[in-house]
Parts: sequence; structure tokens; C-alpha cells
Amino acid sequence: MIGILGNLVSEITGPSRLIIDIAMFFGLQVIVAMALNFQYGNAGVPNMGCAFQVITGAFTVSAITTRLAFWFAEQAGIQLLPYNTGQLWMWNSNNNVFTTNKFLAPNAGLSISLLLFSLAVSLVLGALIGYVISLPAIRLRATYLIIVLIALADASQIFGRNVLEICGGPLGMYVPNVFGWYPGDRSLITAIVTMTIGLISFFIFRTMLNSPYGRLMRAIRENEVTVGSVGKNVTGIRRNVLMFASGITALVGVLNAFYASFVVEGAYQRAYWTYWPWLMLILGGPGNNAGTFIGTAAIIALRRIIIVYKFNIESLIFFPISYFEEILLGVLLIVVMIFRPSGLIPEKLLYIPGLNYSKLVREEVKVDWRAATKARKGKSRFSFRRKEEEE
Amino acid sequence: MEISAIYISTVVYSSLITVLSIGFTLTYLTAKIPNFAHGTYAGIGIYITFSLTRLMGLSPYVSIPIAFLFGGALSMLIFILVIGTLQKIGGGAIVLTISTLAIQIFMTAAIGIYAFWVLLTFHTYTQPFILRDNDIQISGLPGVFPFALIFCIATVIVLHFLLTKTNMGIAMRATAEDPSLASVLGINIYRVQLFSWFLTGGLACLAGSLLPLWFSSSPITGSGMITSIMAGSLLGGLDNIYGAIFGGFVVGTSEQLLTYMLVGLFGNYIGEYRPLIPMIILIIVLIFEPRGLNGVYERWQVRKISKARVVEKSNAQEGA
Repeated sequence: MIGILGNLVSEITGPSRLIIDIAMFFGLQVIVAMALNFQYGNAGVPNMGCAFQVITGAFTVSAITTRLAFWFAEQAGIQLLPYNTGQLWMWNSNNNVFTTNKFLAPNAGLSISLLLFSLAVSLVLGALIGYVISLPAIRLRATYLIIVLIALADASQIFGRNVLEICGGPLGMYVPNVFGWYPGDRSLITAIVTMTIGLISFFIFRTMLNSPYGRLMRAIRENEVTVGSVGKNVTGIRRNVLMFASGITALVGVLNAFYASFVVEGAYQRAYWTYWPWLMLILGGPGNNAGTFIGTAAIIALRRIIIVYKFNIESLIFFPISYFEEILLGVLLIVVMIFRPSGLIPEKLLYIPGLNYSKLVREEVKVDWRAATKARKGKSRFSFRRKEEEE
Repeated sequence: MEISAIYISTVVYSSLITVLSIGFTLTYLTAKIPNFAHGTYAGIGIYITFSLTRLMGLSPYVSIPIAFLFGGALSMLIFILVIGTLQKIGGGAIVLTISTLAIQIFMTAAIGIYAFWVLLTFHTYTQPFILRDNDIQISGLPGVFPFALIFCIATVIVLHFLLTKTNMGIAMRATAEDPSLASVLGINIYRVQLFSWFLTGGLACLAGSLLPLWFSSSPITGSGMITSIMAGSLLGGLDNIYGAIFGGFVVGTSEQLLTYMLVGLFGNYIGEYRPLIPMIILIIVLIFEPRGLNGVYERWQVRKISKARVVEKSNAQEGA
């Protein structure tokens, strides 16, 4: 089956690469945006540190998985250049990765288990980071949480730049290719894996949101004092939400690292991994996954169009296009917040599986509505005003 | 008179951070949101000085009133267009905070575009630049050293009188305490907020206009300072302007002097971690004393009052 896919894929070149690219970035960003929707749209936790969690996943690949792959290669008797100090890690890891890739290419089982290992480790590390963040920040005001998370996202970049053992300093480093067993285009299989993980996480989020726990989350968003007063652990629920969503966000870093085959801290700026997902969430409408999908698709399409027609746009403006993108981001965020506060698709009533809504309406509420319409006829706001005027 | 460059850096930087922290706290008090664009006002001030000095050949101190008025007008415009509108719609604190982040991104890009335009038109190097050569010398010292210190002290004194003696200041304090109660008393909250945004924007822009006289500056300098400003503000407790004076001074001093001392102890590589110092201060404050020094002060006051009451009670009992 892999062979058939490979034959199909070998024909994919040129413009079709763009489609794969868009699918890949859509898959990556939609996971971040869905996790954000889970945190902010449903539980009311404003996580402004998505970049921090994504960079955790990327550093997992460069610092842990790469070392493990080197270890496996050395066990198989392949001579690698020394990599025990930070300097040697920076200088030699690119050569070592090249050697290791040759060893990994026929070993499909080992490659897949390395991928699964890095996903699992990043999930655990992300959850751990969510827990650590939640310790000081969750009982504080929401604005404090934003401040702490933005500061942490910057701090992680500083460490990535200066601790050479993580990702080789500011120059970055290559990471092993875990899709070497696939005969066709490597970016296609990465995109398929990313979309699969996105789909799985979508169903997990959907199930969680429609469960009693999801309703509890929405209740906390609306009024945490009331939820606390009926005996629910508000702090604990928020901590769990942050841990779960942080873990899922960290997966994105792993997938991005394997897609690019390269990890460098500069690629994980907070503008790209925090503010753009927030714009997607706010544009689509916080609180529902359909809105998140539409918002992500719109923004990814916009950004890709800007990149494809880069030279046409640059002939119209005199300044570099990166500034244009930043201005667009700022203006769009403010315009959407002022003119479309609830997003393109406003939040709808919760869908609870197994509950017959039409039956509910027919049986119970119908009677109330009749009574209400009768009552409303006399006391409508406008008729009330008219009466006042007549008097 | 000779003063080592590190002490000049410390004094100038901590004075400016103090003023910026005061402004940040003032905005937080009246609007109840952290204004992430506050550091970017300083970035605009930096480029006002740059334009006046490098392009027009004026003294850098001419930019002081211009920067104040321009920053104030810009801040008022932001309040009218974005913050006030969002408040009317009914956006919560989180929505308003995100809008300030969006303003920060927008303004940083605008400064970058301006720097690029200057580079294209006048062919001068715009980022990073430093204006130490354009500064005046006062008895062997660079003029920015006394000016920054005087500016910081004058701001504190003027703000103190503004907040305690004038009607507008008292209205501002009332709005900070309880906006709805203040509006019941006939205070126009919108106007008070507009005034406080004008004041903070102007002060921040002014502080930024003094920065390139001693420090190397680029379009992202202003927005990069926001962590230090927030750390200073939080250390003082976000509810108290007098706390922000102390907090800003501590953060500014530790960022300059502590880094210098640590570099002397451990070697040059420590200098790379300088941005971590305000972050560490910020997180430690949030973990152990979320209300900053103001919380410590209030607890001390409460303990003093309760002790006095215990003494009174025991005296009364003895008397009986």
C-alpha cells in the first residue's frame, strides 16, 4: 500500500507542493487554534503562551529524540562524530544527522517508534509545563496569566538561543528524518500524519466539550463564583484544561520540527505561534470548533496568498512585506474585535448526544412559550412606551 | 567629573523605567487593563528624537515637548478609536488586553516602516543607532544623566500634586477606586480616562525620547522594554503609583547593575540572559506576593492598626 501511495506521490511536483504546504500549515495551526478554543473559548483561560508550548515540542525533538536516534545508531555499530559537549553538539550534529538518516531509512519500525516517542514525550512535557504554569497563575487575575505566559515564551527563546545543548544555539540544527522509509514525497506523509493528529484531537476536543466536563468548563467561563459555590473545584478544572491543551499544543512543535527537518528558536516567535492563532480564534468565533476551522482556513489562505503574490505586493509598497503582514495582523485583530465581537460563526447551544431537542421543545417549553407570548403581547417594550406617550 | 559608564547607564535606565512603570500603573488603575503598547510609546519617542536630531539637526532636548504632546495625542487617539469603543461594546478585560497587544504589533510595525522609509530617503543608518555624540556636556558629564534623573523626580512630584491637590487627580483616584461610584458622584469617567491616557502616553513618549541619548536603539527597543515595565509595575503592586516608583527603580537598577556584577563574576555569557532578570522578578512576585510591595505595605498597616487596637483594648480593660 505504501508503494502505491509512493507511486502516486512521486508525480506530485510543482503547484501541488503548494497544496501540501497549505494542508500542512492548516493542520499545524488548526491544532493550536483548537487547543486555544478549548482553553479560552470554552474554559475562559487566556493562554497567551502557545509559542512556549510549541517550542517545547520542537526542543523535545532536537534535544531528546535526536540523542536517542544517535544512541540507536551507535548501538548498531555506526561511527558518529563526538557530540557530548554543547560546542560539539552544535558543530557535529548536522553530519551525525546525515549519517543517522541513512541508518534510519530502512528501519521503518524504529523510525515510527521514534516519532511516537517524541509525540508522547512532548505530550507529557507540555502537560508538565501546563501544570507548572498553572501553579502561580491560575489563582490570579486573567491579565496576570497573560503577562506570565508572554514572558515565559520569550524566556524559552532566550534559553534556546544560548544553551547549545538544546538546538545548537542561534544557528539551529537538523533533526533526523523519521519518514525515510516512505518512498514518495516526505512532506506528503508529514502532512497526512499532521492532519490525522488534527482530526483525532478534534474528536477528542469535541467529545470533551459535549461531556458533562465540557459543560462545567463553560459554566466556569460564565461565572466561576457560582460554580465554586456548588462545590466544584474551579482551580483544579482550570489546571486540567491548561495541562491537556498544553500537551496537545506541544505536539504541533514536534510535527513542525519533522516537517522542516530543522529546529531553530527563531522560527518559534510569539507573533507566529501565539498572535496568529489568536486572530484565527477571534475571527472564527471563540466557543465553537466550526468557527475555529473557518477562521484558520481564512487566515492560512490569506497568508499563503501574501507569500505567493509577494513580489506583486512588494512593487506596490516601499517597505518589506514582513511589516505589511504585522500591520495586517494588528488591524485585523482590532477590526474583528470591534465589528464582529462574536466572530464569523457565533457560539451555538451545546449539542448533547442522546438528547432529543425537538422532543424537549415540544413537550416542555411549548407550554411556556404560549404563556409567554400571551403575557408578552400586553407588555411588549414598544407598546409599553406607546402607552406612556398616550398617557 | 568622571563617573563610570555603568553608573550612568544604571541611573538613566532606572529613571526611565520608573517613569514608564508609573504610567503603566496609572493606565492599569483607570482602565483596569495592562497596556502592552506602553513600551511602544517609548519606541515612538526614540524615533522623534532621531528625526529631530539626525534629520533636522536640532538639539535632542527640543524633542521633549514635541514627544510629550505627540505621545499624548497618539495615546488619546488609541483610546478613542479602540479602547473606548471596545469598552462601549462591552468587551471584557481579556478582549481589551488582546486589543492592546494588537496595537503594540501595529505600532511596532509602523515604527519599523518609518525607520525603513528614513533609510531609503535620507540614506542614514536607522537601526540600531545611538545619539551619544549629539548630547550636550555638563561639566564633563553627558547631559542625559542629570536630565533623566531630574525628569524622573519631577514626574513623581508633579504626579503627586496632580493626584492629591487638583480636581482632575482626585477624580482619577476616585475612578481607580470604583468607576461606578465615581460616575454616581458626577465624575465623567470617559474624560478622566482620556486624560489619564494622554498623561501616560505623553510621559512614556518623553521617557523614550531620552533613551537614544545613552543607549543603542532600534524599532523593537520600545516594545522589548515592556517586560521590565510590567515587572516594575507588578513589584510595586498594580494598585499603587508610589509602589511603581520603587518597583521601577529596583527593576531598572538590577537589570543594569546586577547584570554588570554577574558578568564580572561568571563571564560574558551571562549578559545574554539579561532579559530574564525582569521575568524572574515578575514570576517571583506573582508566586509569593501577587499584590506586590503594596500588599506587604497594607498587611503591615493592618497589623499596626490591629496591634494598636489590642493595646487600646487592654488599656480599657485595665482602666475598668
